[in-house]
Amino acid sequence: MGNRTKTAVVIGAGPAGIEAALKIAQAGFRAILVEKEAELGGTLKQLCSSFPRWEDPQELLDSKILELQACPEVAIRKNTVVTAGTPNGNGYIVTLSDALNAQSDEVLADAIVLATGFELMDISIYGEYGYGVYPDVLNALEFEATLKEWKLGKGKPPKGVALFKCVGSRDRSKGNPYCSKICCMYTAKQAGMVKELFPEAKVYVFYMDYRAAGKEYEEFVREVIEKRHVRYVRGRPSKVLCEDGRLLVRAEDTLLGLPVEVLVDIVVLAPAVVPRPTTRRLAQMFGAKTDEYGFIEPDRFNPVQTAARTFFAGGCGFAVETPLAQQQGAAAAANVIALFRLK
Amino acid sequence: MRDPMNPDYRPMRLDEIDDSLQKEIREKCGVDVEMCMECGKCSGGCSNGHVFDYTPRKVVQLVKLNAEDTLINMDALWICLSCHLCSDRCPSGIDTPRILDYMREKAYRKGVTTRPKIRLFHELMLSSVQKSGRISELPLIFKYNWMSGQYMKDAILGLKLLLKGKLSFHSPGVKAKEDIRRMFSGSSAKRTWGEP
Repeated sequence: MGNRTKTAVVIGAGPAGIEAALKIAQAGFRAILVEKEAELGGTLKQLCSSFPRWEDPQELLDSKILELQACPEVAIRKNTVVTAGTPNGNGYIVTLSDALNAQSDEVLADAIVLATGFELMDISIYGEYGYGVYPDVLNALEFEATLKEWKLGKGKPPKGVALFKCVGSRDRSKGNPYCSKICCMYTAKQAGMVKELFPEAKVYVFYMDYRAAGKEYEEFVREVIEKRHVRYVRGRPSKVLCEDGRLLVRAEDTLLGLPVEVLVDIVVLAPAVVPRPTTRRLAQMFGAKTDEYGFIEPDRFNPVQTAARTFFAGGCGFAVETPLAQQQGAAAAANVIALFRLK
Repeated sequence: MRDPMNPDYRPMRLDEIDDSLQKEIREKCGVDVEMCMECGKCSGGCSNGHVFDYTPRKVVQLVKLNAEDTLINMDALWICLSCHLCSDRCPSGIDTPRILDYMREKAYRKGVTTRPKIRLFHELMLSSVQKSGRISELPLIFKYNWMSGQYMKDAILGLKLLLKGKLSFHSPGVKAKEDIRRMFSGSSAKRTWGEP
């Protein structure tokens, strides 16, 4: 490929993709950052606060976007999807389709970084929870939007909110057998946010256990319980009913072995984290392996590599919290840089 | 808790439960039940837990559920030995015996007990302390056996102890009678046990 500056195509501009593109470019190579949405940020852009320090994710995003702007080696392609990838010598010819202008063009890529992120499972299959039937039963990302509204002083203050964890996770019958890992923490964060905005509201988190494995994570959950007075009820709710225009949750308090009910205004479900269907399609295109669920499968000895010239980072591999997505993005970039430096 | 055989039985409604008992326990006993991680270490080691109707972990849960009636009427209140194994081993430092003490006082004032003999023993023991500042064991045993109608209870054991000099008919009172008087007059509320 001559003396042309080597180029990596980074697919997905969430925290992982942004970090990968930045580091590749800062090392002196070119990065094309492809984002299907009109804005950068991926799932992070939708979030209202963060754990374990209650920081505004927008601040992180803004600082990363500033860094990107100072980096002419990164070409940002918004509203764009990858529609084809053809092997070409030691790289790929990648077809980028601009959804807005209905145009497409081809670029040469010496490496691919998949950073397509995750999505939330469709939880309307759980008829007992009434998602898609009752408008006040929300999934976790929809509730992040509600929290943003409340923070701006819009919307009706709730009297009661119930948050359910493990909806579709740790469910070998209709959902996924795995633990989605991030729900315990973001549910604690959401519950704590409600109490911060509306201290009088009664907030219940229904849980089987809370998995707070991370620096300052356990302390964060304890703060939510002890300082913000969120009531954690051990038990997986079994039914959501509509009663007088509000929502009645039925569950068992498994610590006392007693059936309990609670009347709330909003029910928030924490769905299983699942791979995007596009991840599987892109994986096939670039020789990447996927596991039985459709998450990218790493090489045996390299956790961010999946094929000779294909790397991955962030939620397309499995559920990750923001800092871990960034770490993986940087790690994928390090691998790309090492590959590009090979004589 | 509630009787499932009752035709009016309804599951407990969490949103109708207020946190008044939880607050009361925090203020009066300095115990924050929200710190409980529900691990059960208290109950696993409890010296009488195998015969409790509500183990220490459940006692903490009941406070969260504002279940004052259940707490006052439970058997565990009277068969707890106050050995403090639960609080000693609690990873969150929750003083469960303090909660039980507080609820026992409430039950006593209401005149409720599942174990009248144990309550009698409490009364006799405290009256001995009030009189002399000490527990005079033998008179206490005689009085207790007499008043509870168990005349020969532990008689053989008592005889053995007496012969070995482990029990005496008379125990001298403490010198600080005035302190004892103040303690029982209620002015001790300003002081707590263990503090200098």
